[in-house]
Amino acid sequence: MKGIVFAEFLSMVESQYGLETVDNIIETSKLPSEGVYTSVGTYDFGEMVTLLQHLSQRVGVPVDDLLYAFGHYLFQSLVKTHPEVVQSYNAPIGLLYSIEDHIHVHVKKLYPDAELPSFKILEKTDTSLSMVYASSRGLYRLAHGLIVKCFEHFGTSADVSIELLNKKGTEVKFDIVQHGA
Amino acid sequence: MEHKEIQILKRALERERKARKQAESILESKSKELYDTSEHLKRANAKLEGLLEERSDDMDAAFFNIIDPYVVMDLEFNVLRANRSAKEFLALDHSKGNVNLSNFVHPDFAQYTAESMQALLDVGSLKNYRAKIVLSDGAEKYVQINASLIYDRKGSPMAAQGVIRDITQEKEIEELLSKHRKQLDIIVENSPLGIVLKAQGQIVKSNVAIQEMLGYSHEELKKISTEDITLEEELAETKRLMGEMETGRLDHYTINKTYVRKDGSQFMAKAAVTSVRDTNSPIHYEVFIVEDVTKSMKAEAQLKESENRLATLVKNLEMAVLLEDEDRKMALTNKKFCEMFGIQAPPEALIGIDCANAAEDTKTYFKEPEQFVTGIEKILKERKMVLSDELEMVDGRILERDYIPIMIDGTYKGHLWSYRDITLRKTYKRNLQIEKEKYSGIIANMNLGLIEIDNEDRIQLVNESFCQMSGFGRKELIGKNSKNILSMTNKAVIDEDSLKKIKQHGDSLEVEVLTKQGETRYWLVSAAPRFDQAQRKIGLIGINLDITEHKKLQLEKENLMAKLEASNQSLKEYAYVVSHDLKSPLRSIEALASWLKNDYSGTLDRAGKEYLDMIQDKIESMENLISGILAYSTANTSELNNTEVDLHEVVLEIVESIYIPEHVKVITSQKLPIVVADRTKMRQLFQNIISNAVVHIEKPKGKVELRFEEKTDFWEFCIKDNGIGIPKKYHEKIFEIFQSAGGSKKSTGIGLSIVKKIVDRYHGEVWIESEEGIGTEFYFTLEKNTIKKSENEDTTGQKNRKIGI
Repeated sequence: MKGIVFAEFLSMVESQYGLETVDNIIETSKLPSEGVYTSVGTYDFGEMVTLLQHLSQRVGVPVDDLLYAFGHYLFQSLVKTHPEVVQSYNAPIGLLYSIEDHIHVHVKKLYPDAELPSFKILEKTDTSLSMVYASSRGLYRLAHGLIVKCFEHFGTSADVSIELLNKKGTEVKFDIVQHGA
Repeated sequence: MEHKEIQILKRALERERKARKQAESILESKSKELYDTSEHLKRANAKLEGLLEERSDDMDAAFFNIIDPYVVMDLEFNVLRANRSAKEFLALDHSKGNVNLSNFVHPDFAQYTAESMQALLDVGSLKNYRAKIVLSDGAEKYVQINASLIYDRKGSPMAAQGVIRDITQEKEIEELLSKHRKQLDIIVENSPLGIVLKAQGQIVKSNVAIQEMLGYSHEELKKISTEDITLEEELAETKRLMGEMETGRLDHYTINKTYVRKDGSQFMAKAAVTSVRDTNSPIHYEVFIVEDVTKSMKAEAQLKESENRLATLVKNLEMAVLLEDEDRKMALTNKKFCEMFGIQAPPEALIGIDCANAAEDTKTYFKEPEQFVTGIEKILKERKMVLSDELEMVDGRILERDYIPIMIDGTYKGHLWSYRDITLRKTYKRNLQIEKEKYSGIIANMNLGLIEIDNEDRIQLVNESFCQMSGFGRKELIGKNSKNILSMTNKAVIDEDSLKKIKQHGDSLEVEVLTKQGETRYWLVSAAPRFDQAQRKIGLIGINLDITEHKKLQLEKENLMAKLEASNQSLKEYAYVVSHDLKSPLRSIEALASWLKNDYSGTLDRAGKEYLDMIQDKIESMENLISGILAYSTANTSELNNTEVDLHEVVLEIVESIYIPEHVKVITSQKLPIVVADRTKMRQLFQNIISNAVVHIEKPKGKVELRFEEKTDFWEFCIKDNGIGIPKKYHEKIFEIFQSAGGSKKSTGIGLSIVKKIVDRYHGEVWIESEEGIGTEFYFTLEKNTIKKSENEDTTGQKNRKIGI
């Protein structure tokens, strides 16, 4: 997993639970990387799992909810660092529709070795979108958070229903209907 | 700041430093990688440029010497170099001025050219660019260009080179061909005939029609074999023809065959196959043209069938038909015609014969030959339809003839004669008329009154007799309600039930009708429902017989009978009273006479005594006479009490009880039968005959013999004596009352009349055969079966001749 995700994750933990929590979960996790992450580096995904579990234990919030919250945070910080990507869209549905074809292409330019989830579009109208998230990581709650924040970013909201196509959550169907459009 | 916080911050700082170092080292290694890559690219580029340069030199020479036009231009289409043939083709000399190739491009191809140029720039080469160009002299040409880019040493494109091929002619041919092909395709695709083209035995083309006919798509057709679409029975022939064509012995053949569709159904088709061989090409084409003839074959078969039917119809028509064409030649005739005019030849043989003299030739058949000929001449001249002419033949037949001219679009095309033998119909009609008249006569003249009424009781028909019976005129009856006009005095007879019965099935009843004159008449009415042809009840028909006279006679008879009965009864009573009243004084006389004889025998002289004896004799006769009258009066009237009677026993009793003179013997040579009869009557019967017989024998040895014979229906008895006999003149008379032969003093003249009466009651006969001085045979018969046991006992039956006071 790319270092940028770890860096953003720890940044979220620091902003929400404080530096002490960051320090605590790193110290208790006994990580091979010792909690040293740089955006351009690549680290074992297991470290992220360990960090999430320790954070969950410490703050008493389920891992899924932590991931959802991380999705929100990550979207904001990505917009901050790469505003030009988001600016080329004027609606959230359009943005989501182009994740694979446009946004992931940009990601690949910066991080050629990034392992990205796939989003397969099933149906699209101006106000709704149906797609299948697929990733061996099963981080669909993170994706959920990103999607919801995306709508928020465009000053609107949406009904996002999630349907797990398998138990592990490595394939998940998202049905998104935008509000008030 | 707390110690713990410092520790945390220290650790965080430490992690940040380490992360920066890590990032720096990653970036350093990336920079190194980039440098190595760019060095490698530089070397590769230099190598390639060297190669390109060498090649370009070689190729330049080659291109300038080739026959096809060759041009090098810069990226703005300006010609840099061109070989000779290019100059000739484009009629240019770029040394005389700048030539821009884009000027040659036909406006229609400007866009395509721009795109092609872009492709060339992107890819580096361009193949088969085809466009129309306009030369400086205005001529239009089609060109095909293969081009590639020429790069400068830095690797950026600087020019393009290309070989031009003039494909104008090619293009024209192609266009022409494609136009032809299109036309052909239109014809082929829209043809109702199925068309298949085979090359080397493989289907290369099939049109929509054949695909629809067979139900296979073009691709499917390519895969299937002859067997799949040919009816098994016809496969051999199809294969034989195909084989002949393959071997070149046959170039064309046509076959009528049955094709099998994909769905298994079949259709009849005419297939024409033509082999096309090109002497220059080994390829052998076969063209199949298939026409679905199912419908036309069906139509043809139907037409044929209907023609046959029509021909058979005409042939067997019960009407003689003769069709002549406009030249009076026989066009059609039939069997009936030949039969009717006795022509031996079959009708087919007559076709074509001139009919101009036919009338003259056949006139002898007709009763009025000259009229027949002139009639035909007139008809033929007028050419107007003539129907139902009746012609009488010499042999008695009557023919009905129609003449129908045949006009097609107002032009006379011949005419049709038709003859029908209406002899039967005619005679039938005549017979029917005669029958009708006969029955009408009967109905009108019969003594029975006939009346028909409809369902509303309105009188529809009456005959003359009915008018007479009822006293009403025909006009007064027809159309009137029968109930209103004919009043019946005993209406009660016709109640609802009997009316219903009459209306359903018919019935007979007696009614009293008041005639117009107010006279009551008795009618016997037989009424029955009337039906029409469809068996619907349409009313009643009544046949009435005036039975008034009968009725009167019957009433009179009934009165007479009653009177007769009464007088019989009084007669019976009178006879009884008379005999009883007469007997009483008689007895007194008899008593007085015997007293005189006994008491005064001393005083009476001989003559006086003789007179007394004579008185006593007369008294006895008188008594017998009275008894006889009594017996006679009851013989007829008393009831019969029939039982089984042993006649033998009866006769023995008689013989014992009656007076039989000494010299007479009664012999029953047979045992007399047992019959069913009234015992008393039987005794009376036999006693009267026997006693009659025994007293009339004067011979010293008298003999009375009884015999009988059993016949089928009756017994026949015979009592034979050898007495004095009965003269012939008395043979009938003796059976009448108070008659006896010879006025014997011993006979009352009643006995045999009683015999006659009893025999009559048993439906028998009695007669005698007698000769004076020799004897008499008495015969009588008794019917066997009329004797019935059930009749009551005759209480007045006598066995004695004497009746006590």
